[in-house]
Amino acid sequence: MKRREFIQRSSLASGTLLVPNFLKAVESSVLGGANHKRVVVIQLSGGNDGLNTLIPYTNDIYYRSRPQLAVKSNDLIKITDTLGFHSQLKPLMRLYDKGYLAILNNVGYPNPDRSHFRSTDIWHTASGSDEYLTSGWMGRYIESHGQKPYNAIEIDDSLSLMLKGENMNGIATKNAKLLHNNMNTPYFKKILNQQTDQHLSEHNLGYLYKTMIEARSSAKYIYETSKTNPSKKQYPDNPFGKQLKTTAEFINSRLDTQMYYVSMGGFDTHANQVNTQSRLLHIYSDAVETFVQDLDDNGTLENTLILTFSEFGRRVQENASRGTDHGAANNVFLIGKNLKKPGFFNSGPNLNDLDANNDLKYDIDFRSIYATILSNWLGVEQKSILRTSFDTLDFV
Amino acid sequence: METKAIQHLYSRVGFGILPNEISSLSGLKKEDVVAQLFSKSREADPLKIDLAELDDFIDNDSRQKLSRAIRQELRKKSRQKIKDYNSAWISRLVTTDQQLREKMVLFWANVFVCRDNHIFHVQQYNNTLRKHALGHLGDFLKAVAKEPAMSKYLNNRQNVKEKPNENFARELMELFTLGEGHYSEYDIKEAARAFTGWSFRPNGEFFLRQKKHDTGVKVFLGKSGNFDGNAIIDIILQQKQCARFICEKVYRYFVNPRVNQQHLNEMVAVFYPKYNIEKLMEHILLSDWFYEDENIGAKIKSPMELLVGIQRIVPLTFAKEKQLLYLQRTMGQVLLYPPNVAGWKQDRNWIDSNTLLFRMKLPSVLLNDTVINVDQKGDFEDSFEKYYADSRKRARKLDVEKDWTIFDLEFLALDRDEIRESLIRSKIDGDTLIFLDTLTNLDPKEYLVQLMSIPEYQLC
Repeated sequence: MKRREFIQRSSLASGTLLVPNFLKAVESSVLGGANHKRVVVIQLSGGNDGLNTLIPYTNDIYYRSRPQLAVKSNDLIKITDTLGFHSQLKPLMRLYDKGYLAILNNVGYPNPDRSHFRSTDIWHTASGSDEYLTSGWMGRYIESHGQKPYNAIEIDDSLSLMLKGENMNGIATKNAKLLHNNMNTPYFKKILNQQTDQHLSEHNLGYLYKTMIEARSSAKYIYETSKTNPSKKQYPDNPFGKQLKTTAEFINSRLDTQMYYVSMGGFDTHANQVNTQSRLLHIYSDAVETFVQDLDDNGTLENTLILTFSEFGRRVQENASRGTDHGAANNVFLIGKNLKKPGFFNSGPNLNDLDANNDLKYDIDFRSIYATILSNWLGVEQKSILRTSFDTLDFV
Repeated sequence: METKAIQHLYSRVGFGILPNEISSLSGLKKEDVVAQLFSKSREADPLKIDLAELDDFIDNDSRQKLSRAIRQELRKKSRQKIKDYNSAWISRLVTTDQQLREKMVLFWANVFVCRDNHIFHVQQYNNTLRKHALGHLGDFLKAVAKEPAMSKYLNNRQNVKEKPNENFARELMELFTLGEGHYSEYDIKEAARAFTGWSFRPNGEFFLRQKKHDTGVKVFLGKSGNFDGNAIIDIILQQKQCARFICEKVYRYFVNPRVNQQHLNEMVAVFYPKYNIEKLMEHILLSDWFYEDENIGAKIKSPMELLVGIQRIVPLTFAKEKQLLYLQRTMGQVLLYPPNVAGWKQDRNWIDSNTLLFRMKLPSVLLNDTVINVDQKGDFEDSFEKYYADSRKRARKLDVEKDWTIFDLEFLALDRDEIRESLIRSKIDGDTLIFLDTLTNLDPKEYLVQLMSIPEYQLC
């Protein structure tokens, strides 16, 4: 066992949940081992229109397919000869200029599903489109590494499939104090404080007690470790900003959490997309920039990788309601300080070569991104978590 | 029949049993108690809600003439009606005398999983499950395959001779009858051909689009012939694996999430080749092993079993349908809205830190007006504001009316131990038992809430 792990485990085991500050400092400076790294996954829920996020502003097919919705070439932030950011993505542009942003184009999977539920499940479980898995890739990660609910946290009140394992799960909270209080009503205290360990071998009953006891100690750990670290940054005053602020507080408290999941809603733009998406992209990039600065100020950006995805992109062709319907492949953002290949990882979508449904084809299987995060970033073996080995990509 | 056995039986083929009913059954033999269960569930009683205002939706002739705006309006109303149907279904579970049949409906709804937003088709599908719940598997499968809701859900409507769509054929074998590894990709292709042209009219009636149906010879699971969809289902039923696949699901749901192979083999022998569901259930419920200790309290209640079980003691009226949906969402099981064609995973998959905490608080939230501060997730279709809408009014109470009549009638005369034995199926943890013994000052209603809040109440 490594020294750092030993310190952490023994301090947890003895009930001293606060790792003293000097140890924290030691950990982050000297012992920044592989499993000290973490990943934050942000889902733009509903299916963000990638084509109006990164605009192929020289492409005739794009303009022909979207007479109402296409972003004019003088109304965007040009980055390459062919692609430009939506004008609301200035904060993201600044991250791009610093070399903190990598853009992966045309990410998807074979036989794409156009249902929000199903495609989200596929992304969450890292399955093929013809498989139904009962556990998520983050859940399987904590099952083989860490084994504590707080190793993976969703910033919400209920837990998504992504964080569910076969026999243990991550934990959801957007308010550590509230969760802690909820677990510590006088009644639960009485039930759980009396527990000796004998029943834990019982099949389902043991599982319930074990889940409750772990939930309670996780809630306590998260709350007590993070309560002294309120963020000093001014986040945009909206629920997504709040989610990221909470995430930053957890990260900057050096919680022993390798995976965070945040879902931002509102991207299902079937009608009147232009204004809606502009606002959303503004909210997203504004909050993410603050988040990145917050981590940078606290020395935690170094070990943090932020992945932003949507369950699918949208159709190339606009619809009759000034919106777009569910499509297939889409772009993915990676943000971090240690990117091997910042900027554009691969070229933009080929609108001359669409799939049978006239949607974008994928070049990168999303599971290759997970595989890369697991093996190159977190330094763990990908196969036990993804079930098969995927090619890794050279972004970290 | 022993009290403990009666309670076990009713917790599995129903949602629990009240003390007075136990007394009325305890003088009877097992055979008579089980026979009574079946006789009560003899005739399927369709569940229907008032859909008169939507009749234009299903009229075969006038439907085509409706304007786009009206059709949109009808679709919107239809989606609302599905929520009403969700409430109506739950009320049915709370009030029904046909516990066995209704429990089977719930079971089948998670085997032949389907989701649709056309209320007439949803209602028709639900009642097809009800009709065949205790019938013959062959008739059941053939009916399900012809249902408009299923036809849409698994794209069989798009399955035509020129361009077969394999979705239905694939899930029919993988998830409804055989399980992975018991057929080939070639079998799927051939089965899909047999289901080409299977379609429906707006009023929900099945019809075959002759021109779209592939009448050629198909080779399927080693047989060849001029098969249509019915013939495919018949050939599937000839596979003993189909009986085993269904029996295993039945075993996990009604007996124990951990399968005893010997008992399973016994069930397969009863089920195959006639596929009489009633006979299969009867065999299980009359067996000795069904009542063995290892099966009692071994199963984690589904959110529905939890929610309905509470209400069979204290019926509730939700002033806001939305709040009933909220409870289902937060616990991860909204009736009529399964997550995907594989259905809910059940047992331990219902449980994580967040859901378990919520489930243990549910009794006091429902019966004691305790404030909840758990927000539900937004929908994919929501706007940004709506996605997060709930989070602004964090602490809130549910607007429910409680009816304590049954409780007063059934439980007031009982002592603490009797109340406990009537409610809890599982063995109780020693420490928790000691804790419960300290609750001597509570009035019976409060004691009920406390009992429903221990982890053991999560089991049935």
